[in-house]
Amino acid sequence: MLYIAHILIILNIYIILVQAANLTIGMSNLLTLCQAAFYGIGAYLGTLFLNQFNISFLAIAAIVMTATGVTSLIISFASIRLKGDFFIFATLAFQMIVFTILNNWTTVTGGPNGISGIPSIKIFGLIQLKGIYPHLIFSYVVAAATILLMRNIIRSPFGRTMRAIRTDEIAVVATGRNASMYKTWAFFISAALSGVAGILYASYIPYIDPSNFTLDESIFILSALFIGGIGNIKGPLLGAVFVVVIPELLRFVGLPTDIAADLRQIIYGLSLIIVMFCRPQGIAGVLQPSNR
Amino acid sequence: MLLQLKDIHTSFTNSRNETFDLLRGVSLDIEEGSITALMGGNGSGKTTLFNIISGFHKNYSGSVIFDGHNLKRLPPHAIASLGIGRLFQGGQLIPGLTLLENLQLGAPDTNDNRPLSSLLKPHQTREADLQKKNKAIESLIQLFGEGNKYLDKLYDDGSSFSYGAQRLLSLARLMIGDHKLLLLDEPTSGVNQQFFDTIKSIITQIASTGKTIFFIEHNTKFIRDIADSCAILSDGIITEHCPTDNIAWDVAKPLSYNTLIKQLFHEQS
Repeated sequence: MLYIAHILIILNIYIILVQAANLTIGMSNLLTLCQAAFYGIGAYLGTLFLNQFNISFLAIAAIVMTATGVTSLIISFASIRLKGDFFIFATLAFQMIVFTILNNWTTVTGGPNGISGIPSIKIFGLIQLKGIYPHLIFSYVVAAATILLMRNIIRSPFGRTMRAIRTDEIAVVATGRNASMYKTWAFFISAALSGVAGILYASYIPYIDPSNFTLDESIFILSALFIGGIGNIKGPLLGAVFVVVIPELLRFVGLPTDIAADLRQIIYGLSLIIVMFCRPQGIAGVLQPSNR
Repeated sequence: MLLQLKDIHTSFTNSRNETFDLLRGVSLDIEEGSITALMGGNGSGKTTLFNIISGFHKNYSGSVIFDGHNLKRLPPHAIASLGIGRLFQGGQLIPGLTLLENLQLGAPDTNDNRPLSSLLKPHQTREADLQKKNKAIESLIQLFGEGNKYLDKLYDDGSSFSYGAQRLLSLARLMIGDHKLLLLDEPTSGVNQQFFDTIKSIITQIASTGKTIFFIEHNTKFIRDIADSCAILSDGIITEHCPTDNIAWDVAKPLSYNTLIKQLFHEQS
């Protein structure tokens, strides 16, 4: 049961990350490779506050969301000036810069050794989450809140404009809407939510090091989004389930133990190819990834 | 004068680094409340001129004055916010958005479009959106009459409508905005006779509300029927601009397209 609870907590964290990625990649039509950078900034900043200050999750979340959101303005600034592949490279550079800082600023981040013994989250400054089940319940609450938030955003006039920008940015601009401003907002919210996922991860594990927040992680989140589908709530949800749960289920297929790990990776990779081949819009997506 | 174009010059460079002048001193005044047609051959720079006015093409010299504002340094969205609506060539409804959402997008950008508004002021956001919805429905009724078929298709995807219907509904979207000037790029291009007549009546209706209309068109009958005046763009300048009744229609015939092609890919043989 502890194992299942652990998988469900990780799943909830990825649900937040993939929903956040959907806002920028799915709805703003900007392919970013730096989701893990915001996830990492959130984790390290959250750790700093959890270690140093005895304040509640809400206060830490507010600080982390603001900090990651403000950091996202760097990418937004790039998005105004860089288009297409150049923009993707800018986000890649940002991801590498963040990783390098986390890996080398040893006095603050612990460098490659990371930070261990991170205190658990305190709710309202009173109740400390102890054990796996309180973390599970809390991760459910945060994931559900994220889904509600995203549902609200997608259905709002803001979401409508974002969907329109994704399809025909020039037509939207011609209606008097500042597409750059809308994208900046989308980045801000996406980065802020990724930061929250970072706090949850750091508090639950409770050990972080830079290898948790690499380019591979960004690509993993991106894969989950494209597999599940972009432009709605269900897609990112199913994408997160696919990338987190399927590899775990493959553990129980009864593969020969000496090659099990490799076979699992092959089966997992093949299933990704099949999904993308049969349903390019993803399992539950409403929009196809852009043909870049 | 609502719109003044003064000595507009713009040039393009082709893949062989050869520069050619597309507009070579376009000057034109558009009066408030007028319907002005812009004619010219393919490649004469009509759409480029519209792009200059809308702010999508910034590489030009000269000035564009709209309602007392110099548009040179303004970004396209700010120009649109001043009251310039645009129907693009082949411009359609946005796929992935319902008809209603497409029409609501025509309403001016307001604070209720910000993400925090829907979170912090959900009631006000809903109210503002409802007003946009009502305005969209009003526009449809005004244009197509009570009980028209589009009212039953408000939640159909924009891409599910025929080309002609999308053209009509794109015009309806322009009616929802607070525009003073509408730039229509070939509004009747590619539509059948029925839609052609409807578009003609819609433009007349829009003009009757006091909006100024500046449109690109090749169909001379359409121009004669609805435009007050017609400007002819040829060889990079406005060669004629006078009331449609006084137009010597033969002037519009020489096309500069061949000249342009010659300059772009000149004398390869």
